[in-house]
Amino acid sequence: MADKIGAVAVLGGGISGMQAALDLVESGLKVYLVDNKSSIGGVMAQLDKTFPTNDCAMCTMAPRLVEIGRHKDIEIITLSDIEKIEGEAGNFKVLLNKRPRYINEEKCTGCGTCVSNCPTRNKVQLLEKTKVELEPQYEEKVLEIIRFNKNREGPLMAILQQINSTFNYLPENALKYVSQEVGYPLSHILKIATFYSSFSIVPRGKHIINICMGTACYVKGSERLMERFSDVLEIKENETTPDMLFTLKSVRCIGCCGLAPAAMIGDNVYGKLSTKDIPKIIEKYKTMA
Amino acid sequence: MAVRRIELMLCTGTGCVAGGAFRIKETLEKEIQKQGLDKEVSVIITGCNGFCGQGPLMVVQPDNIFYGFLNEEDIPFLVQEHLLKGRPVKKLMFTPSEKKEPVPLLSEIPFFKKQMLVALRNKGIIDPEKIDDYIARDGYTALEKILSSMTPDDVIDEIIRSGLRGRGGGGFPTGTKWKICRTEQKTPKYIICNCDEGDPGAYMDRSVFESDPHTVIEGMIIGAYAIGVSHGYIYARTEYPLAIKRMQLALTQAREYGLLGENILGSGFNFDMEIREGSGAFVCGEETSLIHSIEGKGPEPRQRPPFPAQSGIWDCPTVINNVETWANVPVIINRGADWFSKIGTETSKGTKIFSLVGKINNTGLIEVPMGITLREVVYDIGGGIPDNKKFKAVQTGGPSGGCIPHSMIDVPIDYESLTKAGSMMGSGGMIVMDEDTCMVDVAKFFIQFTNDESCGKCTTCRDGSDALLEVLTNITNGNGKEEDLEFLEEAGNAIKDASMCGLGTTLPNPVLSTLKYFRDEYEAHIKERRCPALVCKNLIKYYILPEKCTGCKLCLKNCPPGAIKGELKHIHIIDQSKCTKCGTCLDVCPPKVSAIIKVSGKETENITGIEEPYPVKKKEK
Repeated sequence: MADKIGAVAVLGGGISGMQAALDLVESGLKVYLVDNKSSIGGVMAQLDKTFPTNDCAMCTMAPRLVEIGRHKDIEIITLSDIEKIEGEAGNFKVLLNKRPRYINEEKCTGCGTCVSNCPTRNKVQLLEKTKVELEPQYEEKVLEIIRFNKNREGPLMAILQQINSTFNYLPENALKYVSQEVGYPLSHILKIATFYSSFSIVPRGKHIINICMGTACYVKGSERLMERFSDVLEIKENETTPDMLFTLKSVRCIGCCGLAPAAMIGDNVYGKLSTKDIPKIIEKYKTMA
Repeated sequence: MAVRRIELMLCTGTGCVAGGAFRIKETLEKEIQKQGLDKEVSVIITGCNGFCGQGPLMVVQPDNIFYGFLNEEDIPFLVQEHLLKGRPVKKLMFTPSEKKEPVPLLSEIPFFKKQMLVALRNKGIIDPEKIDDYIARDGYTALEKILSSMTPDDVIDEIIRSGLRGRGGGGFPTGTKWKICRTEQKTPKYIICNCDEGDPGAYMDRSVFESDPHTVIEGMIIGAYAIGVSHGYIYARTEYPLAIKRMQLALTQAREYGLLGENILGSGFNFDMEIREGSGAFVCGEETSLIHSIEGKGPEPRQRPPFPAQSGIWDCPTVINNVETWANVPVIINRGADWFSKIGTETSKGTKIFSLVGKINNTGLIEVPMGITLREVVYDIGGGIPDNKKFKAVQTGGPSGGCIPHSMIDVPIDYESLTKAGSMMGSGGMIVMDEDTCMVDVAKFFIQFTNDESCGKCTTCRDGSDALLEVLTNITNGNGKEEDLEFLEEAGNAIKDASMCGLGTTLPNPVLSTLKYFRDEYEAHIKERRCPALVCKNLIKYYILPEKCTGCKLCLKNCPPGAIKGELKHIHIIDQSKCTKCGTCLDVCPPKVSAIIKVSGKETENITGIEEPYPVKKKEK
């Protein structure tokens, strides 16, 4: 094998960066492992278990951490930001800006005494929040919805439902605004917003076509209705036509089992549908717009 | 209100509205005006009549004549003949499929004959948007009775004695649930009406809301009085806009009449309630999940106990009952527990509403006494299977239930018998399947459903449904292996044992019950690569029979991928490499020609033996 020359910089010291560094160094290259935090490990170091296998995160990471720390050909550069990258494949130059650590890394033994004696350690340190401003087209309505529901018990669902029906989806800034004004963490709002099928976090078409996929409709061939709608509109399920007129969705059951197979466009129900009727129905909605 | 000679009870449930009921109402009124009958005849809009398969429909009272499949063109004739000249119109009456003579009277139609209406007692008789109509039918007399002459404990005793069990599917004794909640120390307490009817193929809750919202309200007020509650919630699906609108209106009217709010009927008892909407998540029908949803938390179920009756919404004792359960309460109070407990079987009392849908002649909503057999429901009320096809199975209980085969058609319908048959009562969906339904495909459909709707909390439910779905998809695609069946059984039972809420523990039922009763279909898919019902696309092919094809080009023009070649008066051929098996050709081929066939299994080799179109031979006369 030819002699290896040069070195590799791995940017980001999370689990994938760590593994990349180890693989590279095994193949005989010098590695610089760069991270902008004060230590390597990344997000995985903060997790208890990992999806979907429920493996213990630290059990996966710890052997790699140790190996990286020990390896003579890996140089860890932490608390550093990338200023500039230039060159081309095989010959890069990376300029790093190392931020001060206020600790002499050569001498530190990691005893932790400074941490426990730090006078400001136990003070609450809040993140600086930037105030969310709503776009003018949303402002009035969102404010009104919040005002209307704020004092009910458990207001979140109602607020999201009303925003969803007013704008036909949940605009990102509106959710941030709700989080700020009503006091729910944004992560919680997003959990709710993505759990229910009638919420959408992307803009949807003016007419939402819901094909009923209930059992009665299914045994009477609702899958073929879906295929036909998809053909005629030239979009797939859960997509929106480019002219923002139609969004195609399937729904669990609209309770019109006596009229199977059925579909719902907006609030209108179409029963006993056959694939032949579909182009006509689409045309009707197109001319309505 | 002026008394009219004739009243037209026009059904305006969601189904009939979809068929144009409101347009028909306008035409009717216009026609009546034109004939100068507006002083004698009035059109009354009612909630769902139940016979949805015949919609749009109406009943002419007091003659009690039923008209179905109405359309605007027939209205002038109908008004002239029946309303003006008193000659009922035969062609709009109900005609059973096997007979030629129509059945004019509503009470004579077999679909209605065997029914027994308790929860649905006012369907098609009152205008759901008028509280006075409900009151005229003894509405709110049960409320008056308990407020004036019964203590809360009396009410609970009455409900316990009646033997009423939860109609949402679980079948927990309602009175006992109330009692547990009443004896809890913590206050305030809450009641909730569960109208998150997620089971595909079931729509009784929607129908009750649309045809008789006040019976639910009255039931809830009675429950609130018995348990000691001053605030209630109605949790309804957002997919039911009309039901929510009518319920909202009914609440407003009840408040105006002093039946809700402070000091109800001067008794000093206060109670009010509000509607909360769901947003399309099946798991929210599970009670703990529903509570989380109202609270605005992530709608995942939680471990029970504590049961909601001990600690529910806002951590307070909460009784959750299904719409149908609440709707039964006023009748039990009015007519007494003894009367109610005489209906039904030893353990299952009263009546149950079912939605009879799928491959059946008379689709619609029915209310029958517990203990009736499936045969009576399918053949007497349902009128059998259309097109003389063979009955294969009935699916009950939605995605949590199972399929009951023909051999068990004499099983009485009650909580225990259905569970023993490997299915469950569920909320009351009853989907009839004929020989054209592939049971493997149905099992796949349900697993797809639950896989999609699983909240993801328990691994067995989340990943187990994935595993089942993968195997079932392989089987329907023709890639099944013999050991797959064993795996389905083993994994199914594991999911049952290890999941927490009702969704997970019942999710394998459709697979397990079809495996039990229709194993031969699974085996045909795996061993012979054949779908006996000709449903699974990868296992079937379409052919045009040369001896029948007339070369009319109809299928050729309609074929979406353009897979049919041929010309006028030439036998057409399907190019199998282009065919997407959409079935359009089969739909458009005229019935008297019926040249297109579906085949599966060994027969899928080119059975017609022709490669190029050739002219149609003239038939010898």
